[in-house]
Amino acid sequence: MRFFTVLILSLLLVPSMAQDPDWVVPEDRKGRLSTFPFTDETRKEGERLYQVNCHSCHGDPGRNNYIALQPPPGDPATEKIQNNSDGEIFHKVTTGRGPMPSFRSVLTTEEIWKVVSYIRSFNRNYVQKVMQVITSSAYPGAVISMKLAWDDAAKLVSVIATATGETGSVPVTGAGVRLMAGRYFGMMQVDEEKVTDNSGTALFATPEGLPGDTAGNIRFSAQFTDEQTFGSVSKDTVLRAGVVTVPVSLTAKRAMWNTVRKAPVWVILAYGLGVLAVWGFILLVMLKLRDIFTVGTALQERLQASGNETTTNN
Amino acid sequence: MDEFRFNTPREKGKIDSLAADILKNVRINASFLLWMGFLFTLLAACLFAYTIQLRKGLGVTGLRDFTSWGMYIANFVFFVATSLCGMLISSVLGLIGYRWVKPISRIAEIIAIAFAAVAGLVIISDMGRPDRLPYVFMFGRVQSPILWDVTVVTTYFVLSMLLWFFPMVPDLAIAKDRLEGRPKFLVKAYEILSVRWMHHEKQYHLLGQAVRILLILIIPTAFAIHTVTSWLFAVTPRTGWDSTIFGPYFISGAFVSGTAAVIIAMYFFRVNYRLEKYLNTETFEKMGRVMVLVAIVYFYFNLNEFLVPGYKLKTGDAIHLRELFTGHYAALFWGIQLFGLIIPAILLLFKQIRRPLPMMVISLFVLVGSWFKRFIIVVPPQGHPNLPIQNVPVEWVVYKPTLIETAVTVASIVLVLIIITILSKLFPVIPIWEMAEEENGKDKISE
Repeated sequence: MRFFTVLILSLLLVPSMAQDPDWVVPEDRKGRLSTFPFTDETRKEGERLYQVNCHSCHGDPGRNNYIALQPPPGDPATEKIQNNSDGEIFHKVTTGRGPMPSFRSVLTTEEIWKVVSYIRSFNRNYVQKVMQVITSSAYPGAVISMKLAWDDAAKLVSVIATATGETGSVPVTGAGVRLMAGRYFGMMQVDEEKVTDNSGTALFATPEGLPGDTAGNIRFSAQFTDEQTFGSVSKDTVLRAGVVTVPVSLTAKRAMWNTVRKAPVWVILAYGLGVLAVWGFILLVMLKLRDIFTVGTALQERLQASGNETTTNN
Repeated sequence: MDEFRFNTPREKGKIDSLAADILKNVRINASFLLWMGFLFTLLAACLFAYTIQLRKGLGVTGLRDFTSWGMYIANFVFFVATSLCGMLISSVLGLIGYRWVKPISRIAEIIAIAFAAVAGLVIISDMGRPDRLPYVFMFGRVQSPILWDVTVVTTYFVLSMLLWFFPMVPDLAIAKDRLEGRPKFLVKAYEILSVRWMHHEKQYHLLGQAVRILLILIIPTAFAIHTVTSWLFAVTPRTGWDSTIFGPYFISGAFVSGTAAVIIAMYFFRVNYRLEKYLNTETFEKMGRVMVLVAIVYFYFNLNEFLVPGYKLKTGDAIHLRELFTGHYAALFWGIQLFGLIIPAILLLFKQIRRPLPMMVISLFVLVGSWFKRFIIVVPPQGHPNLPIQNVPVEWVVYKPTLIETAVTVASIVLVLIIITILSKLFPVIPIWEMAEEENGKDKISE
């Protein structure tokens, strides 16, 4: 009996926990800041990303036209959302909760910050705090940066991490790096997680025939896996590392779902010939009716003629 | 072959006595006018409901985002199904060589014409903007089962009309001189429609050819019409419609409702038109056997349609079948299966039951069951959309037909009755010349 009571109580608890109205962001994430200042350019790019990824649920900021869901997605221009710190918005977009999906594998760190930049443009009182330098516990006082390059002969993407301090630059060694490639839907991890060697380099093998855009370009994003030690640096770079792919429209070829002009030939033939055949036979039947009429007319005339003859003879 | 049929005094006498029996019903009398007056009044009331729908849109019906195909489409499927009786009786049974179908083949065709004609109109009643109907032809896609459906319904209607008209031409010639006291327009119509029929062997030969072509042609067309109607559902991935046996399942069900409709009509004409001699107990007995056969075939398809997904219970099927077996639609589902199919089939196994009155009562149950069976096929699968939707009003989730919707549906049934009444009251319902041939032991048309 007690078992069932506990079971029922815990079942009741699960949905009530899921519907906790407060979305608490861990303390260490709240204070996170963008590594670049928000400009018109970042806002515009953020708007584009917002339209693609957020608009369908959150609607147009400032118009309260988000869709009816439980819990409500809310309008990003409202106080409820603007009262979040930059780090809180970043965390919520990254992790997601309930019906709100996680954008970790859809947008890069830079892109999420650009979305934050767009959301903040609806808040007049907002003053941005930028992370001045990216610091790390492993390289105290140094600014950490990453550079990505494509080696066409070896088909490798190299990520070189450097720590620049007052005394000069040194390679960041022993840091775990993850490389993501932009795909049609979200980001795809390239190769496994690699650790930078003595020269600060990590090499990633790309899958053979990785499709790029019409110029063969692919958007890559590299990031340290251990942010605590090496800092929250990330780097987005476009490299000509893919196979040139000219997209073919799904409606270019004949298909069942296409317009009537692009219907599969067999459907046109089957339908057309079927209709022609049946209505051809109907026409044939109607011609028989005409023949019946013709025969009847001839017979009537003959009967009348013979009738007249009989009359005359009499 | 310069010879005329029905030329001997004995044959002429036979035709005379048959014509007297059968043509006595071809007249416009008080009861006909009263009945038509009643039907047209009812139709006018129902059409008023349609004008409201036309003015305000489909919002006046119970159709919403979840259930967008409701009573109208269920009614459409029922009409198409019932119209298939023309093909079953005249073609399938006729071409096999069963002579007992001769007196009822015209009744079957009349029912086929009425239901096929109104089926097309029922589709229009389901359109929020019927003025856009021409778009189906202007911008129709040859890949769409909806275009196929429009095509085959039209073709089947034309073929049914021809199959009703052609074998009737000799009767019209026989009748045109025996219509004293009937309205002039009717006599004139008989004169024109009998296309100078002289009962000459040459004409019988041509008629035989034409009818044989039609009898064969209507079989694939009838299969196409109801298979395509089933594809309107089966080509979607929706649970409950996503079935590979929907074509034969629909056709076997059509034979059940069509046979029931013919039996009811036979009983009506037997009693009201006093045609006991032609629509005799023997014919009813045979139709009872046909009903048992088609009911068993339909039961077999039902078993496949529900037992196989019920054994596997994929998530969607589990929800759908629970609704049917024990849920919201359980009473309707089991009522239809028991009283509309299984019990009638068992009862009709007994010879004592295969008599006109009990068969008519049983057929009424079968026909009403068939209508609700189409409702069960069309509506419940739409209650559970594949994509999760939140916060929808309850009337979107639970479909309830409104009064207006019901009235428009009643209008379609009234229209069917009007067409059947006109065709059976202005033209002979029993083939006179074929019955005369039958008595002579000749059967030129199917030889």
